[in-house]
Formats: sequence, C-alpha cells, structure tokens
Amino acid sequence: MNGILRSLPLALLLPTVAAAQEQQLQTVITPAFTPITWERLVDAKNEPENWLMYSGTLDSQRHSLLDQINTENVSELEMKWAYQIPVIDRAETVPLVVDGIMFITEAPSNVTAVDARTGRAYWRYDHELPEDLRICCGRNNRGVAILGETLFMSTLDAHLVAIDARTGNLLWNTEVAPHASGYSKTAAPLIVKDLVVTGIAGGEFGIRGFIDAYDPETGELVWRTHTIPGPGEFGNDTWSGDSWATGGSATWITGSYDAELNQIYWGTGNPGPDWNGDVRLGDNLYSDAVLALNGDTGEIEWYFQFTPHDVHDYDAIQIPILADIEFGGEMRNTMLWANRNGFFYTLDRATGEFLLGDTYASVTWASGLDPNGRPIRVPGMAPTYEGVMVSPPIVGATNWYSPAFNPDTGLFYVTSFDGEQEFFKRDEDYEEGERYTGGGGRYTQPMDAFHSSIRAIDPATVDIVWEFPIMPRSSAGITTTAGGLLFSGSADGYFFALDAATGEELWNVSLSRRVHAAPMTWSVDGEQFVTIASGNVVFTFGLRN
Amino acid sequence: MSRLSGVFRRRMAGCTALGLAILLTPATLAEDAGNLYNTAVDVRMGERYFERQCSRCHGFDATGNDETGAPDLTGRLTRGSTDVAIFNIIRDGIPGTAMLPVAEDVPDPQVWQVVAYLDSLRYDPGSVVLAGNAEAGGELFWNGSDCADCHMVNGRGSRNGPDLSRVGENRTPDDLLADMINPQENVAPRWWRLRVTGADGISREGYRMNEDSFSLRIMDDEENLWSIPKDGLQSYERIEDSTMPSYAQTLSESELDDLVAYLFSLRREEI
Repeated sequence: MNGILRSLPLALLLPTVAAAQEQQLQTVITPAFTPITWERLVDAKNEPENWLMYSGTLDSQRHSLLDQINTENVSELEMKWAYQIPVIDRAETVPLVVDGIMFITEAPSNVTAVDARTGRAYWRYDHELPEDLRICCGRNNRGVAILGETLFMSTLDAHLVAIDARTGNLLWNTEVAPHASGYSKTAAPLIVKDLVVTGIAGGEFGIRGFIDAYDPETGELVWRTHTIPGPGEFGNDTWSGDSWATGGSATWITGSYDAELNQIYWGTGNPGPDWNGDVRLGDNLYSDAVLALNGDTGEIEWYFQFTPHDVHDYDAIQIPILADIEFGGEMRNTMLWANRNGFFYTLDRATGEFLLGDTYASVTWASGLDPNGRPIRVPGMAPTYEGVMVSPPIVGATNWYSPAFNPDTGLFYVTSFDGEQEFFKRDEDYEEGERYTGGGGRYTQPMDAFHSSIRAIDPATVDIVWEFPIMPRSSAGITTTAGGLLFSGSADGYFFALDAATGEELWNVSLSRRVHAAPMTWSVDGEQFVTIASGNVVFTFGLRN
Repeated sequence: MSRLSGVFRRRMAGCTALGLAILLTPATLAEDAGNLYNTAVDVRMGERYFERQCSRCHGFDATGNDETGAPDLTGRLTRGSTDVAIFNIIRDGIPGTAMLPVAEDVPDPQVWQVVAYLDSLRYDPGSVVLAGNAEAGGELFWNGSDCADCHMVNGRGSRNGPDLSRVGENRTPDDLLADMINPQENVAPRWWRLRVTGADGISREGYRMNEDSFSLRIMDDEENLWSIPKDGLQSYERIEDSTMPSYAQTLSESELDDLVAYLFSLRREEI
C-alpha cells in the first residue's frame, strides 16, 4: 500500500486537511476502471466520457456527445501530456479510455495502460513475436477491444490474445492462422454480445480470408465465415479453377454491428493476386465487398460487392458506418461507405439494397455505377506489362482510416485523395508464404503534385457539401463531436479542428510527424480531452485551465 | 546449397548451364569473392524478386517512397555501398526500421540476385567516357556563364537553384545534359514558385521551400525567408515551372559537353 492510501483514514478523520490534499485523495478513493458489460457497449454513445471500442460505438459513427470543447473555445486547446511509444515505428493506434484508464496499442504488437489524466503507465504487455513474420505494409497495431475486465488484441503473428485489463497479464493466446503461410493481424477486434469477432490480414500473400468469432473466456473458436466460398458453396464459381483457394479477400479492419438487426457488417479486401486478374477470372466473391453476418452464427445474410473482379487493389477495407437518414422522403436504416475505389455508396443495411452512389474523388477506371451499384468499367484501365495510368492509385481514394458521421449535420466525412499511378501486371505462381500480388505501381509525379481533402458528403445525394484541402497523402481518420467539431490529422504532421457544419478551420497544432491514426475524445472528472497519435507519440489535448 | 529450396530450383529451371554452374557455387565463397550471381539471368531474377517482395516500400522502379521512408535505390546507397554490405542489409534487415530481413528460407543465391539487380540500376562512374573536358567545364561554370548566379557548389555561388556539390552522384551525364537543355521537365517541388498575398495585404513571391496543410515557407528574390499561414491568404498561386532558362541555344554543343563533364565530376569521391 502506498503512502497516499495509508494516509486515507487519517484524512477522513481530520476534516481540516488542506483542500489540495483533499482533492488528491478524492482521485484515490474513486478507483479507476469498472468492468465493461455488453449492455455498456451497446449504449456506449451515452457514456461519452469513455471511448469503449475502436470506432467509439457499434455503429462506428465516431461521433461523441461531448461538447465541452466546442467551436467557441477549441482555439484554447493545449497539450496536456505526450506518451512516447518505446518501439520506433509508426503508431496507428486508436486508444480506448475506460473510467480514467487509457489503453494504447503499440507497434509491433504491444499494449500499455496509462492513467488517462497524466499518460503515466500502469503496465505494459510485450507480445513475443517470431522472426519469420509475413507482413505486407508495416508493423502496425490499431487497437484493442474490451469486455468485462479483459482486453483482446490482434498480433502480427496472426494470434488473438486476451490480456487482463488491470495488470497486463496474458490470459490466453490463440493462433488464428499460421503466420508462416502469410497470415497476420493488425486490427482491433469487435465485441458482439459474448463473442470476440475479428478479421485477418494477408491479402498480398494468397491467403483465403475469413471472419472469426472467439469465446472471450477461453479463446476457443466459435465460428468462422470464409470470405471466399468453398467448392459447392454459392459464389465459388466466381473464381476460375482453384483460384478461390489463394484469392485473398482479407478482413484487416474492424467491422460494425446493429443490435436491432443482429447483423455484423465487415468489409473485405482485394482478390489475389492483386494486379493480375487473368488467373482468377470471374467476379471473385466476396472480395472487395461488405458482408452482413448473423450476430450469433456468422452466417452470411447478404453481401454487396463494390468492385467485382478487382485488378487495382481497391480493398473494401473501410469502416461500415451505420446511420439512419432520411432518404427518398422516409427514414432508412442505411450503411454509408466511401470506398477505396473512389465511389461513395448509400446502402440499405437490412437488405444490402443499393440506394445511391457516385464518385467522391478522382476516378478514371469506371465511368459510373449501374442501377444495381455495379461499376461501369472504362476499357483499357487494367494493369499491363508496360504500365497504365489509373486513378485512384493503389492506395485508393481513401483506405482503412476511419470516416465519421455526424447526426447533427447529417454529413459523412472522409479523408480523400485525388491521385493517379501507373499500374503494372506481372506473372507469378503462388508459393505458400510468399507475396502473391502479380504486379505493382509507381507514381510518375512528386506527391506534392496531388491533393488530399477532408470531404463532407450528404449521403442522401452524394453531393460534396464542403471540402478542406490538406497536403497529400493523408491517412488520418476523423472524429466529430456534439461541440460542432471535426478533428483529424494530416500527412505533414498537423492535428486540427474544423467546423463540422462548414469546414471552416478553427484550430491546428504542428506535431511534426505523420498522423496515421484517428482521433478520439473522452473525459475524466468532467473535463474533456482529445487524443491523437502522430509519428511515434500519443498526444492528449485539453482546454487551458 | 542445402538452403536452396525446391521453389528456387523451379524458378531457375530456365537458366543457362553457365547460370546453374554459378548458382551451385557455395554461398560463403560468393561472399568472400563479391557477387558471383551477376549474369543477365541473375539480374532478371533479382528484378522479379524485387518487384514482388520489395516494391511495396521501395517502389516498382526502386526509386523509393517518401511515405514509407524507403530510400531510392537507384543512386548512391547511404547504408552500404559494397555488394556484401547490401547483401547483409537484405539478409538481416535494418534494426529499428521498417526494413525487415528477408524470410530465412530464401536462399543466399536469391539474395545475391537481388544485389545484382540493384547493382544493375547503377553504374561505375569511372567507366563512363565523356566527350567534354571537366576542367574547361569548371572554368565555364564559374567564369564563362551565369551558372553560379543561381547554383552553389561546395559553399560557393548562389542560393537560387539546387546545390550541385554532389550532383554527379545521382544524375547520369544524359540527365545532366537534359537538365540544361530542357529544365522544365520534372521540376522538383522545392523549386516551384509561390506567389501569395497574406492577410496583411502584402504580396510576396519566392521559391517554395516548404508547404504544408496550414502554412508555407518561401525565399523571396532578396533571399529573405518568410513563413506564412494559409489561413487568411488573399491570394495564392503556385507556379510549377523552373526559373532556369534552356541553354540549348546559348551554349555550344562542346560547351554543354564540358559542363556535363564538370558537373559529373561533382561527387564525394574522386573517380
């Protein structure tokens, strides 16, 4: 027992103790962290002091009801603390905050718990990794999920681990898939009732993708739904020959859940090999799609494929945003989706029906969408041996970084990129554990010749209501608040706030290094804070006292 | 050769007898003697491996990627200039960076082929035969032309163009000639011009030293440095042309050749 706690009974007996000391004691006698029930996760929007899952709420709107920091006072934000991640790499983490404790994931596959008020550590979990990792695009981890008193984290060796949230002790460690075959894991899991739902990465290594659900107590697999149908299943004939077995369709970002419809929504990645479609003729279901799964069984209830037979690496690895909006004169349960392929989609999330779609960024590979939402391809845009210029480039018009939806403005917000790239095709044979991409791409102009923007889109019309230009190529996510604010970051190391209604710039601070993460906001003792990772550092800002 | 996998053997099935003979040389000997896997077939195999395994970060043409921080591999390499040093970086990775080691089951000869491919992207500057005379080019640069009115070499000259102190390391003689004849091709963003009117109503123009989402920095024609917030700018114009004129008409062919020879000699090491 430490000195402060030992003095507690004395303080209670002596009411004349100094006010400052009393305040200090108050923070001690209110212990941090209470267990997270499923009911709290369903109702996460109504405890905005906490940030309980990767996208804030199960509908993934990334909209907080906190309004202490608002359009009037946001210019008074100042840095409260910084946490330097000890392993030098880029931070893509979105921390969780639970009753005054912040959980920060770190590259390559570690997690630390800090006092959210000070950034000082309680504990740190270091995940031991093998040397023969197969990772496509960096040693990243994007966040944890929490249920009860347990954190669940993906690791680069394609394991799912459960960690005691009070101590950092490892509770169980389950191999999700063999890493040496090209599987890896980077995304935060999603809690759905009494299941830990999680995806898989490895779309550049000829894996066969899936979405899994695990028992949070034991780490045992409850169900697995493959994102490529096997022989005899519907859709297997959309892959020529045996290409389904190595067709990718990874699930490397977190999904969403609708408790009323009991449906899990999850995006799928590119078919493999990425840039050579000759060996996998057909639509290649369910790659580049969103799947609606039954929340208990994982059974596929509907699918919508954004990019049939993709040859440009246009993963549908975006966060599905669930929003009820007025569409065609009536309120609809919709799913809003700005895709890597450059098109924005409004879908009916109960049925998967395509309601509306249009481009929201520079697109040359398709001239539009047909009445069913299927892209109308422009001839001559598939990669060639000599190279062909296509927009969006491989990194996409957007990518994995989180968009947001603000019910107050009715607007959908996305970090978009208007760029182009030469796409090349190559012939490759599949070899287990080796990259299997069939080509690649290159820019022919300096990055400064291109353009990124935060775009605010009306999901009922796909009109761009406003846009705010930032330097390319941003990979920062977005969060909005009831204070009328939009927070995001930029590739050139700014963290900034815009007016969510108008796009007007209200505040910015230079943090120097690239923002690869999404902001989140929370409060302790009635004081609101906002947190963002930039470079290798997690920064927390609050209002000047 | 125990590490030579079946996969690798299949890949090499089309090699010439000579290629196979070299391939069967023990790897340790290869390390001692430099890269023995440097036939045209090896280079091609190395290129295929590079495109598949390395291009995600280093670019499909090995020219690097600003976003990932992966360096351009087509010019002078800063972390290792010998074949053995490059081999070791590929084999072992660079700790603390995103440069991971290649998989353990990739046989050494395959790594040497990647080294051969990277070697093929460069050339021995000492083997280049130039038409011009570097000494005459230097004289022309400093005393017979206006080059030094804009450029700087080893601390001498001016600030209105790229520092050329090491220009020979990353530009071929053909590149250097093209730069002088057609300077409007591929103008680096650092040498674009910005013309802005600030919130104070004052217009300024200068070289685009840096520009980000919320501010810009320029050096004006009096070499003053200005840092200007974008918020409140009354006007903003970006000129992506070079301020350098073409010398195709103003210098003779032999003068251009001499300048190329001089510029090509500007490097850290003597050749």
